[in-house]
Amino acid sequence: MCFLLTPLDKVSTPLWLKKKNTLVFVSSAVVMNFKIRAATKEDCKDISRMIMELAVYVKMPDQVKISHEELQRDGFCQNPFFECLVAEIPKEHKSKEGFTVVGYVLYFYTYSTRKGSTVYLEDLYVMPEFRGNGIGTGLLSKVAEVAKKKKQCVQLQLSVFDWNTPSRDFYAAKGAQDLTDTEGWHFICFDGQNLDNLANGAPKD
Amino acid sequence: MDFSIRAANVEDCKDIARMITELAEYEKMADHVKVNQRDLEQDGFSKNPFFHGIMAEVPEQHKTKEGHTKIGYALYFYSYSSWKGRAVYMEDLYVMPEFRGKGIGKALMSKVAQLGLAAGCNQLNFTVLDWNKSSLDFYLSQGCFDVTANMGYHCMRCEGEALEHLAQP
Repeated sequence: MCFLLTPLDKVSTPLWLKKKNTLVFVSSAVVMNFKIRAATKEDCKDISRMIMELAVYVKMPDQVKISHEELQRDGFCQNPFFECLVAEIPKEHKSKEGFTVVGYVLYFYTYSTRKGSTVYLEDLYVMPEFRGNGIGTGLLSKVAEVAKKKKQCVQLQLSVFDWNTPSRDFYAAKGAQDLTDTEGWHFICFDGQNLDNLANGAPKD
Repeated sequence: MDFSIRAANVEDCKDIARMITELAEYEKMADHVKVNQRDLEQDGFSKNPFFHGIMAEVPEQHKTKEGHTKIGYALYFYSYSSWKGRAVYMEDLYVMPEFRGKGIGKALMSKVAQLGLAAGCNQLNFTVLDWNKSSLDFYLSQGCFDVTANMGYHCMRCEGEALEHLAQP
């Protein structure tokens, strides 16, 4: 539901290598190889772990209601609700708990009746100890590339909490406009009993 | 006033395009509209549609002075919350001014909610402009939650050159 990145100040001259369908980043400044690839069903446990890390950071862990099982069901069915890319590092750089999947981006295609085909970034996350290596930028860029090629998307949208300055700065540096600030858009949600009540008022077919 | 709510079909795209323009004019963003009737036909009624539509229609005897019987619409698609799971996003909800106050907007929105619940969604999300008090009041009266006002959630967008640059491998 939100994004967690710090400004990329460690990498001076990023070097990208394209191998098959994965993007391999080799930094001259920091010795950290990573690759970005499409998530598989087996990655859902790691993705679920990182979703929770993100929720803990924004002090809302009780808001997370789904587990890796829902992710597997909803992301890998015939008409998936979302797509996901993960960032993976070699075993020799694994995290202290032994993880090699250290970042992810979860997104889906939407539509603007103004502009047309759009990609919406639901989550973009890199584990704290792996930040500053270009992983976040790599994930974001890959989504933009895939969305343009696959669906001819003309815009990329996302949401960020106003207090999350590092993320806001990160996106502003990439040319993102804040539509809430500039145009006054508010994000509205119906859920729980209110959603049920609304649905119960629908006319009978 | 009698009205009916039904799923949109490809023949409705002309009226949907007309009402998209009317909505954009109301939101003072008419110059933002790049999508036309043909785009809607392609994007909404092909094998993997980007969106689904619902139409509100009135009988012939209540048609507008220009002769329109299709007087409201809602466009929606399925989305996802990494916290809550399946969600439905309502991109547009519009009723022509002379047909407001008759429960048509509520009926369209309720139908989206119903379809969303049937698809296993547990959230209905959308956006509204902060100055659009009558819409905001309507949504609040139906029990929605303003995530921007209450939690500081901001909507962001990358497009044009910024998107091109981002997409470079």
